Amino acid sequence: MSLRDSAIVAYAETKVMDISDRDVWELDAEILESLLDKTGIDKAEIDGLVLAGLTSTGAGNVFWAQTTADQLGLEVDFCEQVHIGGCSAAGCVARAAMAIDAGLCNIAFLLFADTGRRESNSVERSYRREWIEPYGLMGPPGAFGLLSKRYESMFGLDYEMLGKLAVTQRDHAVMNENACEKLRKPITIDDYMNSRMIADPIRLLDCVMPADGAAGLIMMSKEMARKKGLHKRVIPIGYSERTNYGGAMNLVDPTLSGHKAAGEKALKQAGIGIKDVASFHPYDDFIIAILLQYENFGFCKQGQGCDFIRDNDLSYKGNLPLNTGGGQISAGQAACSSHNLIESVRQLMGEGGARQIKNTKNVLNTGIGWINYGRNWGTSAALVLVPGE
Amino acid sequence: MSKETRPLNDTMSLKREIRTYGFAKPFWDGTRDRKVVIQYCKKSGKFQHFPRPTSIFTGRRGDIEWREISGKGEIFSYTVTYRGTDRFRAVEPYAVACVTFEGAGVNHIANMVNCTEDELKVGMKVKPYWMPLADGTNLLMFQPDR
Repeated sequence: MSLRDSAIVAYAETKVMDISDRDVWELDAEILESLLDKTGIDKAEIDGLVLAGLTSTGAGNVFWAQTTADQLGLEVDFCEQVHIGGCSAAGCVARAAMAIDAGLCNIAFLLFADTGRRESNSVERSYRREWIEPYGLMGPPGAFGLLSKRYESMFGLDYEMLGKLAVTQRDHAVMNENACEKLRKPITIDDYMNSRMIADPIRLLDCVMPADGAAGLIMMSKEMARKKGLHKRVIPIGYSERTNYGGAMNLVDPTLSGHKAAGEKALKQAGIGIKDVASFHPYDDFIIAILLQYENFGFCKQGQGCDFIRDNDLSYKGNLPLNTGGGQISAGQAACSSHNLIESVRQLMGEGGARQIKNTKNVLNTGIGWINYGRNWGTSAALVLVPGE
Repeated sequence: MSKETRPLNDTMSLKREIRTYGFAKPFWDGTRDRKVVIQYCKKSGKFQHFPRPTSIFTGRRGDIEWREISGKGEIFSYTVTYRGTDRFRAVEPYAVACVTFEGAGVNHIANMVNCTEDELKVGMKVKPYWMPLADGTNLLMFQPDR
């Protein structure tokens, strides 16, 4: 099995910033230096560069990966930009593992950097301009507003349970020094319920806040990691992604997503069942996306997400910890949406500090990428990580 | 005024400029006569919407034909927007509905006009409302089919 022959040996991240005070390439350089310090490898040993393509700053340049390699003085044999939206970070791990397994490179630098708040060069050419813009439906909040009302009409929706998710993640962000400072204030379920409507029933505290920042990982074969004496190793043992779920159907139930198929495949590859998942680090752009993932991954049945949330302790001390870094919604959506992946790696390396999870047998990290027309999202990804032996 | 009785903005004060990709021309041409004309795949016997450059069912361009439908339907879902996109910032709150066309089984997203917030329900029957555009085409919206 190719995936599990590789290892993540180090992670790095900047603090999440509302608006970056540095250029995106300066952030790249900080991440690179931090990873060189942590691993003791020489810059010249890095022969693979894998970038997340979810970058508004880089979106103006179709040569972004090569430009980045040039800025950092990296001469590499594998140069890749991964374009599956909010699944790009997890997707980078899978693609780096593939490249290492195929002998295309030996040491891969995975880089997730964006300063879209400071400098956005993004122009989205999609269905939106012809079929959505004339009606003033605001991108993601509007889409999730439609999705939420549909869910509510099918199953009912206890908004206080969504509030519980928001509060749990916020409590975690308060404990995370790298979370965006602006968001590190505790909230209550009442605060959630009373936050202003954006796209009814989507409230302000349902929404992720775009922010700036960077993160990165170093990956190599397990064998090389052992030889180099890199003891902190995190192993990807299951990965799957599904793009355009329902894309060839005329009408799609938006409460169902590609996470069902991706989750089953990734867990099977990992050799574990959903009940074995020790902590859950799902992609969170809107609070209800977490509920839908509990259902689609099979933690509970479709329509029973609110009961599941009510019946489980989702804090870092609980039976199924949720996004212990605060999630993107409470840490800020930065660094190409890699936040929950970086937190997963940190926890498995035992570096969670005051919010360290007890059960580090494994983590399930996920991705959600892009918003499609009246359905839910474009790509669903699932990544199972375990601590290395 | 309570939330329920507050009138929703019909957004008619905002001039729309549609930037099309071209291949949906039969749809836009149909709106000149206030007709809803959408894509139908002859091979699979199914409608598809929004318009695509090929059949999403077979991948064959020749399988696509354009068929007129009533434009009536029922609300699949909806959202009331309190924070509009740039040009819509002055007209909140307004409603956007996702409507399933009767007899076609596909959804169209559009503004919902001539109704109050408490009338809006999933399953509500709706019919077209046409907003004239400068080039002679009309923008398809929905209103209650009372």
